[in-house]
Parts: sequence; structure tokens; C-alpha cells
Amino acid sequence: MSGRKETVLDLAKFVDKGVQVKLTGGRQVTGTLKGYDQLLNLVLDEAVEFLRDPDDPLKTTDQTRQLGLIVCRGTAVMLVSPTDGTDEIANPFIQPDGA
Amino acid sequence: MLPLSLLKTAQGHPMLVELKNGETYNGHLVNCDTWMNIHLREVICTSKDGDRFWRMPECYIRGNTIKYLRVPDEVIDKVQEETKSRTDRKPPGVGRGRGRGRDDGPGGRAKGIGRGLEEGGPKGQGGGRGRGGPGGKPGGIRGISFFTFIIFYLSNSP
Repeated sequence: MSGRKETVLDLAKFVDKGVQVKLTGGRQVTGTLKGYDQLLNLVLDEAVEFLRDPDDPLKTTDQTRQLGLIVCRGTAVMLVSPTDGTDEIANPFIQPDGA
Repeated sequence: MLPLSLLKTAQGHPMLVELKNGETYNGHLVNCDTWMNIHLREVICTSKDGDRFWRMPECYIRGNTIKYLRVPDEVIDKVQEETKSRTDRKPPGVGRGRGRGRDDGPGGRAKGIGRGLEEGGPKGQGGGRGRGGPGGKPGGIRGISFFTFIIFYLSNSP
């Protein structure tokens, strides 16, 4: 086994780029990826948390919270995606099939 | 068919992934691993209630947050093809007794060789033709044939 090659996604291409991270429990954070390891622990700079609606924790609001430099623990990371090219869009499924 | 081999076969195909939190992700599977961590491309994310949508060029999803995945039907044909070709490649089972005989102590005989004699049959069936242990007859060394050994043994017995 060659150490780093076993990861599905090489995070090297996201270093110094903006990434969006969803954490278990529902927190959602964006920031600049400064570092990572094979356990998916992440270092994010200038991190911003998107606060959620207290009445409906499923929904993120426009309110944010500046976190600065943070470490996201790998076990809590659910999803990583680049902020570049990520946009909210209208329903792309013309006929939602309940999927 | 194993779930993960199906997933592996589904690489390059579009699929839907629902997370434990209810969000769904539609995209093309790029890669996956043995933890079910997956990498999707050209993704559309749908919120749990299904009224907000985001598109993202790619995303990485941790395997343990996945509730289920939906894969296209044609993947199942592909995976059957692949498992079939894998079993075809497998060599036929060849298993012949090979091993060491047991050491029965001084004067003892190597197991398997003596059995043929006791049964009186012409040949010990499927007997392990192992090496005699130390302390056997001087003739009971490796390289001597089965029948030679019987003759040798008979001629020496009282």
C-alpha cells in the first residue's frame, strides 16, 4: 500500500482553494483548504460557518459566523466539495420522481 | 454479487446517493473505495425536503454517512459479466495429498505407508505419501517408491 494513493479523492488539487465542508450534526463550513491528512482531517483558513435556522436546523440561512483558522476532524467530515462552481439552482428535475 | 463490487462496476455511471441526513446527491461516480467513500462529478445536491438544489462540479462523500445508493440497471449486467469472467479464469481445483508423514517414534512406520499393509489391499487409497520421520527403517527415506518400501518391509518382518 502506498500511503496516500488509497484516497478516493486527492485533496491536493483543493489546497489553497475554497472548499465547502459539511460536518456530521449539520454544520456547514467554507474556507480555504490549507492542509489535510489521510484521515481527512482538514485545515481551513478564514473559515465561515453558515448558521442554521434555529426552528429548522435542516435549513441553512444567510447568517454566517467567522471562525478563522480551524481544524476539521476527519471523522466528522461528511462531504467536501469545491466552492468554485457550486451554486444554488432552480429545480433541474422537471418532474421530480420522488427520488 | 457484493455491494462494493457493484459500486466498483458502477464507476463512470450516473447514480443517486442519499445521505443519512436526507440530502441526495446525483452525479457520476468517479471513484470509490472499500469504506464506500465516493467521489462524484457533475453533482446536483437536493435538500432533505426536496425544494432546494445546488449544482457542484464534484464532491467527496464519506462512506459512513451514506444511507443508500441508486445505480442504473445496466450496471447489474456488467457486474455479472465481470464476476463470470473472474470465475472462468480461476484454475480447476487441484488438490493432491502432499505433506509430511507423522513421526511414530523409534521403529515406528510412517503413517499412510503402513495402512496399505494392514488393509491387505494392493494399494493404500489416497494415502498421504509423506516423509517418514526420523527413527524409521533405514530404507524409509525419501526417494524410495511405495512398492519398494512394501517389499522391503515384508522381507524384514518376522
